[in-house]
Amino acid sequence: MSWREAFRLSDVAFTELSLQAVYAFRQGNMLPSGASKKLVTRSRNRVVQSKLVISVVLGLLALGGAAILREKALNPNLFPAVPTGLFDTAVVTGILSLDVALLWWTGVQVIPTLISAGVLPVLEPLPIDPQTLRRVSGILFFRLFDLPVLSILVVTPLAVGLALGPFAGLAALPGLVVAIVYSLALSLLTGRFFIRRVQGSRGGGGRTVVRWAYLVLWLVPAFAMFAFITTAPAFFTALGGLAAQGPSFDGMLLVGTFPFPFAALPSLASGGAAALVILSPTTEFVLAAAAIAYAALAVWSVVWLAGSVRDLQFLPNRAPAALASVPAVVRPTGAARAVLVKDLRIASRTPGYAFLILLPILDAVAIGLLTYSSPLRSPVATSLALGAVTLAALLATFFGPAFFAIEVIAYSYGRTLPLPNRSILFGKVALIACIYLIAAGLILAFTLLRLFEPWVFGAFVLAELPAVLAAALLEIGLLFRWARRRGLAITNLYAGAWFAVLVSIPGLVTAGLPVVLFSVARAAGSTFGLEVMALVAVAELALATPFALGRGAS
Amino acid sequence: MSTGPSDPSPVPLTVDGLSVSYGERLAVDRLSLTVKPGEIYGLLGSNGAGKTSTIKAIVGLLVPASGRLQVFGRDVTTEPLTVKSRIGYVPETSMLYEALTPREFLEFVASVRHMDVTTTTRRVQSYADAFRLGSELEEPIATLSNGTRQKVLIIAAFLHSPPLLVLDEPLNSLDPRSVRIMKDLLLRYVAGTGRGVLFSTHTMEVAQQLCQRVGILDRGVLRGEGTLDSLRERVERGDASLEEVFLRLTEEDAGVRAAVDALGNSDA
Repeated sequence: MSWREAFRLSDVAFTELSLQAVYAFRQGNMLPSGASKKLVTRSRNRVVQSKLVISVVLGLLALGGAAILREKALNPNLFPAVPTGLFDTAVVTGILSLDVALLWWTGVQVIPTLISAGVLPVLEPLPIDPQTLRRVSGILFFRLFDLPVLSILVVTPLAVGLALGPFAGLAALPGLVVAIVYSLALSLLTGRFFIRRVQGSRGGGGRTVVRWAYLVLWLVPAFAMFAFITTAPAFFTALGGLAAQGPSFDGMLLVGTFPFPFAALPSLASGGAAALVILSPTTEFVLAAAAIAYAALAVWSVVWLAGSVRDLQFLPNRAPAALASVPAVVRPTGAARAVLVKDLRIASRTPGYAFLILLPILDAVAIGLLTYSSPLRSPVATSLALGAVTLAALLATFFGPAFFAIEVIAYSYGRTLPLPNRSILFGKVALIACIYLIAAGLILAFTLLRLFEPWVFGAFVLAELPAVLAAALLEIGLLFRWARRRGLAITNLYAGAWFAVLVSIPGLVTAGLPVVLFSVARAAGSTFGLEVMALVAVAELALATPFALGRGAS
Repeated sequence: MSTGPSDPSPVPLTVDGLSVSYGERLAVDRLSLTVKPGEIYGLLGSNGAGKTSTIKAIVGLLVPASGRLQVFGRDVTTEPLTVKSRIGYVPETSMLYEALTPREFLEFVASVRHMDVTTTTRRVQSYADAFRLGSELEEPIATLSNGTRQKVLIIAAFLHSPPLLVLDEPLNSLDPRSVRIMKDLLLRYVAGTGRGVLFSTHTMEVAQQLCQRVGILDRGVLRGEGTLDSLRERVERGDASLEEVFLRLTEEDAGVRAAVDALGNSDA
C-alpha cells in the first residue's frame, strides 16, 4: 500500500486518538449529554488548540532568546565578561535545550494517551501490510508533535535570523532538526520505560518508593527546563569565568557537549570562530567532530524510531504473576483520606500527575541547596526562600485542575459509589496543602542555618496557607460546576490545556494576591506586611469555602 | 450491609415509567418493573434494547427524562448517596482505576463505603480465594486480563453485602469455573433474604437458570414480563425455551429465519 493509504488510515486513527484523549471513553467516561454529533469535531479542535498552546510557548521561547541576542548586540555591557560570539552561542544553546526539554516533556505527557487509546491495535488484525502499519504508526506518533515541531522549525530560525542575520537563522536549522529528533526519541524511550517500570509496577510500600524514584528521574526534562531558566544568569557568570580562564579542559568539554556544537553554527555564520577559540585552541575540530557524531546519532535515532513506534502498542507485560494466594490486608480509611491516597497512588504510576507533585518539592530542594551552598547574605537568602515558597504556592494553583482530572479516570464507576463531592473536594485540597507545606518545610530545613529570622519565614508560610487552600477550593469548585456539566475528561495535556489554564487564572490571583500585598507593604516600609497578608488570605478562604461547598459544586 | 431500618419499603427496586433519552433518541420508553425481595430479576434484550441505559439510570449515571426510580422506597434522584450505599454494581465494561492494583482499588471502595479493616480484609480474602486471584491483587489493573478485571468488579460489588445488586452482563469474560461460582453465589445470596438482584443479560440460558422473573426489553419498550411459565402461556407454547419466548415476543423469530436464509443464499 502507498503512503497515501498510510496517511488516510492515520487520519482515522488520529481522530479516534483525539476523541479518546478528550473524552476518555475507554477509561469509562460517560458520553456527554447534548450534541453528541459534534463530539468528534470538538475533540479534534481541542487537540489542535492544545497543540497550538505548546507551539506558542515554543515560539515565545525562541523570540525571548532572540530578544536577549538583540539586547547583547545593542548593549555589549550585558555580561561583559562573555564575548559576543560565545554569548550568542550560549543563548542558542539555551533555546535548543529548552526545545528538547519542552518537546520531550510534551511527549512524556501524551504518549501514555497514545497507548491507552488503543487505536493501533484496532488496525493490526486488518489485512494491512506491515510496512503500511509502520508508516501509520510513525505518522500518528509524529502528529502528536506536528504543530510544536513546525513552530520550532519556522519561528526559531526567523527569530535567530532577525537577531543575528539571515545566514545565522539558516545555520540554526541543523541544530533544531537534531534537537527535534532527540526529543522524539527520548519521548519514545521514556514512554517504553514508563510502561514497563512505572505503569506496570506492582503494589507495596517498597515498590512505591522505587516508583517515585523513577518518576523523579523522569521529571528531569521538565525540571531541567525550569532550572535552566532560573539558573541562566549564574550560567552566564560561570561562562564569563571560563572565558577569562582561557583554553581549558572544561572549555573543550563545553564545546563538545550537545547542543553547543550546533548552537555555535549561527554565531559562526555571523561572526566567525574567534570568540569560541578562547575555550579551546582546537575548537573547530572539536565542533566538527562533535556535530558529525551527534548528527550520526540523530540518523540512528530516526531509524530506531521508525522501527520502534509500532512496537510501543504491543509491549509485552511482565511475566504473569504467580497464582499463589497472598495475604490481602485491606485497610479502609475515611472517604476524604481515601481520595487523597488514591490520587497519590495514581500519580505514582502516572508521570503527568507525579510531575505536579514533585516539581514544587524538587524546586524547594534546588533553591534550598542554592541558598545553603552559595555565599548569600542572610536577607538575600530570606528573600530567595520566601520567593521559593511563593513559587510553591503559585505552582499549587495548577494542582486543582490536575487532581480533578484524576477524578475523571473511571469517572462513571466512581459516580456509582456513595462518595459525596465534599469528600472529593477535601481530599484534593488536603493533598494540595500537603504538597505546599512539604515544599515550604524543605526550604525551611535547608535554609534554617542561614535565616536569622526563621519566624518571619514560618509566619509567611502559614499566612499564605489559607490563600493556597482558597485557590484550591475555588478551582475545584469551579471544575465541579463546569467540567462535569460539559462531560470533559481533562486527562492529559492535549485534552484540555485551555480549560486548565482558564480555571487556574482565578486560582493564581487568589494565591498571588496576599503575596503581592505583602511585597507592597514591605516596599512601603510597613511592618504589618505579614498581618495584611494573613488577613487577606483568611478572607479569601472565607469566601472560597462556601462557594466550593455550595449547591451545584458539592 | 442490609436494608436500613428506616427504609420506607422492603421492595429492593421499583422502576415506574422510566424514560431515558440521548438527545432526540429515546433509549428507554416508559419502562416499569419491580425487583421483589429474594428475587433475581433478569432484564433481557437485544443489543441496544435499553438494558444498560436503564441500569445506568438506576445507579445514578444517567438522569432520566421522566419516571421514578426507587431503591427500598428511596428515590434515586433525591437521595442518591443513600441509594448508592445500598447498591452493588457491576458495569458492562470494566471501567476501573487502571493505575491502581485490585487491592488498592478495593481499599478505596471499602473506604468510601465506610467499612472496617477486619470485615473488608476477610471478605476480600474470601472472594479472592474463590476467584483464584493470587498475587494479581498486587498487579496494576492496567496489566490484568479482562476476566480478572471482571472478577475485581464483582468483588467490589459484593464487598459491602449490598441489599440490591445491579449487574450488567456480569458473566462477560469470566472463565467457566468463575461463571459457575457466580451463578451459585447469586442464588444463595438472595435465597430467603430481603435482597434483590437486577441481572442484565442477552444470554438466555443463563437467565433461564438464574432468574425467577424476566423482563424482555426491545427498543426501549418492555414487551413482556413474568416467570418463564407465564411467558410461555403468553406466547401459547408450553414447551418453549426462553430463547424462543424472547424471539416470539420481540417479533424476531421470522426475522431470524429470513436472515439465516439470506446469508445461506449469499454463500451459495
